[in-house]
Amino acid sequence: MSGRLILGLALAGLLVLPFVLSPYRLILMLPFMAYGVILLGLNLLFAYAGLVSFGHALFVGVGAYTGAFLGAHAGIRSIEVVVLVAAILGAVVAALVGLLCVRYVKIYFGMLTLAFGMVFYTFVLKFYRITGGDEGMPVPRPLLLGLDLDAMPKTDYLIGPYYYYCLGVLVVAAAVMWRIVHSPFGLCLRTIRDNPTKAEALGVSVTRYRWYAFVISGVFGAVGGALLGPPIGNVDPTLVYWTHSGSLVFMALLGGFAHFFGPVLGAFVFIFLQDAVMSVVPYWRLVFGAILAAIVIFAPGGLMGLFARRRAPVEVARP
Amino acid sequence: MTANLVNVLMSGVFHAAILFLVSAGLQLVFGVQKIFNLACGSFYALGAYVGVSAVSAFVSAGGAPVLFILPLAVAGLAVGAVGLVVERGLLRFVYDRDETFQLLLTFALVLMMEDAIRLTWGTAPQSTSGYYLLYGQARVLGAVMPVYNLIVIAASVLIAAGLGLMLTRTAFGRIIRAAADNREMAEALGVDMRGIYARVFTLGTALGTLGGALVIPATAAMSEMGIELIVEAFAVVVIGGLGSMRGALVGALVVGVLRAVAISVYPEIEMLLIYLIVIAVLLLRPRGLFGGAAA
Amino acid sequence: MILEARDLRKLYGDFCALDGVSLTVGTGEFVSIIGPNGAGKSTLINLLTGVLRPTAGTVRFNDRDVAGIGPVALTRLGLARSFQLVQIFPDLTVLETLQAPVVSRLGRGTRFFRSLAADREVQADALEVAELFGLADKRHVPARQLPQGDKKLLDVASAFALRPEIILLDEPTSGVSTAEKSAIMEILVTASRRMGLKAIIQVEHDMDIVFGYSDRIVALHQGKVLADATPATIRADARVVDMVIGRTHHLPSPPQAERTG
Repeated sequence: MSGRLILGLALAGLLVLPFVLSPYRLILMLPFMAYGVILLGLNLLFAYAGLVSFGHALFVGVGAYTGAFLGAHAGIRSIEVVVLVAAILGAVVAALVGLLCVRYVKIYFGMLTLAFGMVFYTFVLKFYRITGGDEGMPVPRPLLLGLDLDAMPKTDYLIGPYYYYCLGVLVVAAAVMWRIVHSPFGLCLRTIRDNPTKAEALGVSVTRYRWYAFVISGVFGAVGGALLGPPIGNVDPTLVYWTHSGSLVFMALLGGFAHFFGPVLGAFVFIFLQDAVMSVVPYWRLVFGAILAAIVIFAPGGLMGLFARRRAPVEVARP
Repeated sequence: MTANLVNVLMSGVFHAAILFLVSAGLQLVFGVQKIFNLACGSFYALGAYVGVSAVSAFVSAGGAPVLFILPLAVAGLAVGAVGLVVERGLLRFVYDRDETFQLLLTFALVLMMEDAIRLTWGTAPQSTSGYYLLYGQARVLGAVMPVYNLIVIAASVLIAAGLGLMLTRTAFGRIIRAAADNREMAEALGVDMRGIYARVFTLGTALGTLGGALVIPATAAMSEMGIELIVEAFAVVVIGGLGSMRGALVGALVVGVLRAVAISVYPEIEMLLIYLIVIAVLLLRPRGLFGGAAA
Repeated sequence: MILEARDLRKLYGDFCALDGVSLTVGTGEFVSIIGPNGAGKSTLINLLTGVLRPTAGTVRFNDRDVAGIGPVALTRLGLARSFQLVQIFPDLTVLETLQAPVVSRLGRGTRFFRSLAADREVQADALEVAELFGLADKRHVPARQLPQGDKKLLDVASAFALRPEIILLDEPTSGVSTAEKSAIMEILVTASRRMGLKAIIQVEHDMDIVFGYSDRIVALHQGKVLADATPATIRADARVVDMVIGRTHHLPSPPQAERTG
């Protein structure tokens, strides 16, 4: 089955889902789509630049809190504005943090990003007068395309207009990331991942390109974060805790980071499996920890690695 | 005024004593196996919960409450054996893998242990209420502090000295240092790396579980304690330098005391100050105070 | 004169790796640097390619001070290098490996949203280099699957794809069989002529190759230049023969007519 066919079917399926799935399951699709956007960005860093960030939840938090802040302090509920501001803030924060982090690799990069993530967490937790502390801040129902849909019951709003809006954002995000990955820039990133010394000898500045990747991933993270707020209705500091960053990496690994859509698949499986487990026992972490251990030991290629034959992350046209 | 300062300092030193134990375990494992064990905080939590249970069991079985520190310490050390199980059962499969995967495996452990603890002990905090003050209080430089704290600090210092002696004077210690320095050469010289790894990891775990057990009388065992402590331990090893035992000692003091000072002066910033220092260290002197060459 | 190094000195603590080395390379020259291990060849290469800063002395490229500016800046100016230990991108195909330097050269690395596959100029350029180096039929093979000789060629080819003015080859024939060595050199020389390279500098141990292709040979010994002359002169220089080449070695016959430029 060709990749395009599968993709087409998946998209068609997603479009049709609201008519088929129960409202409960549909609402679960919302964080999945938000995480899909976030993970597309994380994977640029992970699979294409070769950097493992343990602080990516920082950007998710930036995006989510943007929605809360704009709603509470500026009365702005237009989702387009929220997403735009979130993207800009994500870019700015990523640019600054990235400047400091991209000189380092492997464990030092992981540690630095973890530290920055926890700085943001502490800030958000402790300055409760502005951020609501550990209770968090409410996120108002956004206006979609300027339309005020407050009259709709919450569930209908979420599984109807909001669902399709998030789907639209996910599709756009995927298309944009696809272009990025298949661009000259994407090629340069992969050279850095494969052999930084050689890349430099060919004129590709390693730290500069890593920085670009970091900023892009920050933007995607913030946009996804902005989408994450409304369904829950509330954002709180746990969104930014280091274990949440770890879960993001987990999702990427679960789906298979070597394939473009792997991490998105990972987000899907993570969210629905978590829900399935929770309905039986509250100990989803135990199950997921075991799954993660199993993946690391037996199937580091993740789910995509099990199903698809091994191929390079970017599918360049082959004869 | 001085009494207040001494109080703050001593509470910081007490916290540093506990932090040192956990961080020393972390450093040992990183130094020899080059794995950053995210689950060291989880072992700390495990030690705490087991410690509470051990003390309760001891007292219900008729043991004198004033001896509570014995079952506490013994249980804390004994449950370190879990490290052996983890090392042989999980960790050894990823020694040849990229360090990212090793890190992720320890993260898997964090997840599993968090829920395993919840499953066994529930979510309500557990404590050894009251036993804390059984040893009375002492006057130190005008301030009053629990003797228990002093005992723990003394124990930690003794352990630090013991570790130092072990590393420099015993054959095991020499092998550890050789393996930390150059694994291939140690193997070529006939060192059984698998055995060393198992023992080092178990020792590292035991230090963590002991730390968790010893802190219990002063606080309560709570479900978040594991994932919260790892960030502090991480700060300790960054400041002190990855892989260095001296670094664990100095780093623990820095973090412990600074945190105590921050809490008493401006509670909002508490860990924020520590993280900023971590970032500063990583940027200005990545190898920390005593670490080897940066990656 | 394209590349000029003057009185280069490099100290590592107390150890003096290079002690006053001067070297000039002009248009059309093929210069070989020879010397025993420890003579300072690697240090010299790293100084010439901007990876290291000299403790003293200057390196000028097209009359511009380039000491320690780093490999990225140097490729922009027109100097490229290949590596002694083969450096490839394991997961990239041959074509992709050649596209990267072209992208870098054309300054298209920051094109985030354009399709690489649709960039005709990059595709054609990379393909041309692949053909010049005899790798065109393997262009979709991931680099890690190539035989050793082809990996070596790819390493060199990717440096050539930068279309530099001058190229520095660090033991271009090391690690390949004798039969492949001359094949590689022939490809190299043909490619440089076709691509309009102005000069080639190589570090080599194989004296057949050195004497077969060089216009000039620079002999290094213990951080100093022992001799800098034509192959004929070097053959006659007893000191060089002794210290660098080894008395028992049979020196090849007079140099071929093959030249660059």
